[in-house]
Amino acid sequence: MANLKLHNINKYYGAYHAVRDVSFDIPAGEFVVLVGASGCGKSTLLRAIAGLEEISGGDMTLRGTSITRLAPRDRNVAMVFQSYALYPYLSVRENIAFGLRARKTPDAEINTQVAWAAEVLDISDYLDRYPRELSGGQRQRVAIGRAIVRDADLYLFDEPLSNLDAKLRDGMREEIKKLHEKLGKTFIYVTHDQIEAMTLAQRIILLKDGQIEQVGPPLDLFERPRNAYVAAFLGSPPMNFIEVNVSAGSVILPDGQALPGCAMPDGIYTWGIRPEHFTADEQGPLLAKLDVIQPTGARSYGTFYIAGNHMMAELDAHAANHGQTHLSVAMDRTLFFDPATGEAIP
Amino acid sequence: MTANSLSRTLERPGVFKYLLIAPAVFVILLIGLYPLIKLAVTSFQDISMFGADYSFNGAKHYVRLFGDSRLWESLLHTVLFTAVALPIELVLGYLLALLFLERLPGKSFFVAIILLPTIISPIVAGSTWRLMIDQRFGPVNQILSWIAGREVELLWNIQTYLVWPAIMIAEVWQWTPFMFLMLYAALSNVDKEQLEAAQIDGASWWMTFRRIVLPAIMPVMVIAMLIRALDLFRIFDIIWTMTQGGPGTMTETISIYAYNIAFREFETSYSAAIAFLVIFILTLVVVWLLRRVEVER
Repeated sequence: MANLKLHNINKYYGAYHAVRDVSFDIPAGEFVVLVGASGCGKSTLLRAIAGLEEISGGDMTLRGTSITRLAPRDRNVAMVFQSYALYPYLSVRENIAFGLRARKTPDAEINTQVAWAAEVLDISDYLDRYPRELSGGQRQRVAIGRAIVRDADLYLFDEPLSNLDAKLRDGMREEIKKLHEKLGKTFIYVTHDQIEAMTLAQRIILLKDGQIEQVGPPLDLFERPRNAYVAAFLGSPPMNFIEVNVSAGSVILPDGQALPGCAMPDGIYTWGIRPEHFTADEQGPLLAKLDVIQPTGARSYGTFYIAGNHMMAELDAHAANHGQTHLSVAMDRTLFFDPATGEAIP
Repeated sequence: MTANSLSRTLERPGVFKYLLIAPAVFVILLIGLYPLIKLAVTSFQDISMFGADYSFNGAKHYVRLFGDSRLWESLLHTVLFTAVALPIELVLGYLLALLFLERLPGKSFFVAIILLPTIISPIVAGSTWRLMIDQRFGPVNQILSWIAGREVELLWNIQTYLVWPAIMIAEVWQWTPFMFLMLYAALSNVDKEQLEAAQIDGASWWMTFRRIVLPAIMPVMVIAMLIRALDLFRIFDIIWTMTQGGPGTMTETISIYAYNIAFREFETSYSAAIAFLVIFILTLVVVWLLRRVEVER
């Protein structure tokens, strides 16, 4: 049975339709990531699940009972805020204990729970400090601690890592994933960062303009996007798109180059090639003039243009050199989209 | 001293900063310290309507303070009035501020309207309220008559049980907006996400107020209360215009009593002693409160 069910959720701010007919089920114990560009309604949706935002229409059930009209405190959800929202006048210990105290938990149990959360998050040494005395990363841990000490049905994360620097973010990402495995609880995580979405999620819900574009496991979305938007959103550097003509099993590029080995029927398509689908290859059919080389260490990104279309290839560090380079393309892994609708064509 | 050595003296940082603040210090000494010293000196002399003896007369006016029951009564009136009016203004101001935190149409317009009483001079406010509560022509009795459905003729500034409430109404009417403004500003700065986090954590209204809201607004609230407490302690104008301290000495506060002694009975030296007593009490209160605020920080 689904733990959380959303049915036709709608949210208007005045005339602005922020969330449009969103429905999904989340089974108990799943790690779901809501991802999308800013303004896609993902945070609104999360806040609606928490009860902080009233919805304009639709229904939500948690463990079989409707929570649509319940106040946040009656929904038994825990949440980690983007700004952490720690209580500045309470010590770390009291911050973590706050939700338990609010629910009249016996002192002995509060102590055990707080000690456990502090241990898990490695903040035992800071329990008697105040939030202002902590670094950003430590505050983040306290905010997570405040959520996990509670025995909630849902744990909500609203862009929890966006205020951390890159290195800390990588570390925390791993820890959040571990935490989910350890707790086995239902996590709903909002982010605009596709790397976070890919690495953390068991299932991604990708939103655009308040609507669901696609739902599925990260690799499904990555390898079989429903449309060009999803394909472009996931992956870094993003997928290359170029309008091509397929004729007799060959992809004809706008500059006239023909790449054989295409199984699509003849016609005009938007062709999607991920940067890693290119390989530097003396025998390769594609001749590209690499303009800019961005080495990252193991791999290098090379930029080239095909009839004015900006393309990027991810190549072996030493194979990427300025000037004319022969490239081969993993034709069977590239994607074709309808140039008018952007829908993927299988 | 040559011009050269003068300018060198001036350029020494230690000297120059004192020169810069000298005019301000001089003004403060002139209008603050001099009257205080003069007051102290006067309180040890013997100056009254009947004559002026400028020689040192010992502490006899201070001794007289202890036996002056009218003085202690007026002090009691002052303390009681402060103790009742201050919490009322605080609570009403807080509730108004809470109301205005919600999204309201025409909010800034209503804020401006609410603040109007505070802009009016207390003398004008007192005089206006005196007219309002006039037993014959005042609108208060008139409105009460409409509500009651029969003639109401309450003697607001004469009846002993009505006179303090009348003053209280005028005072609260005039100064609640001040509390409202201060608390509204303080409450607007309470972090919304912290309140949301508390909601999700399941905190009761009281727990949220006690652990999150109150500590956040505390510094502003203490200052606002201090300002109002000092104002209330030396309240004069509203009461003077409404009752002149009457009936009898019933609404006489310490300021009104001091005024009566100084400018109606012309006991200049004794009134100086009273003034010193007031300064002493207020200094104690302010120092104690400021120290508490420091500790809270």
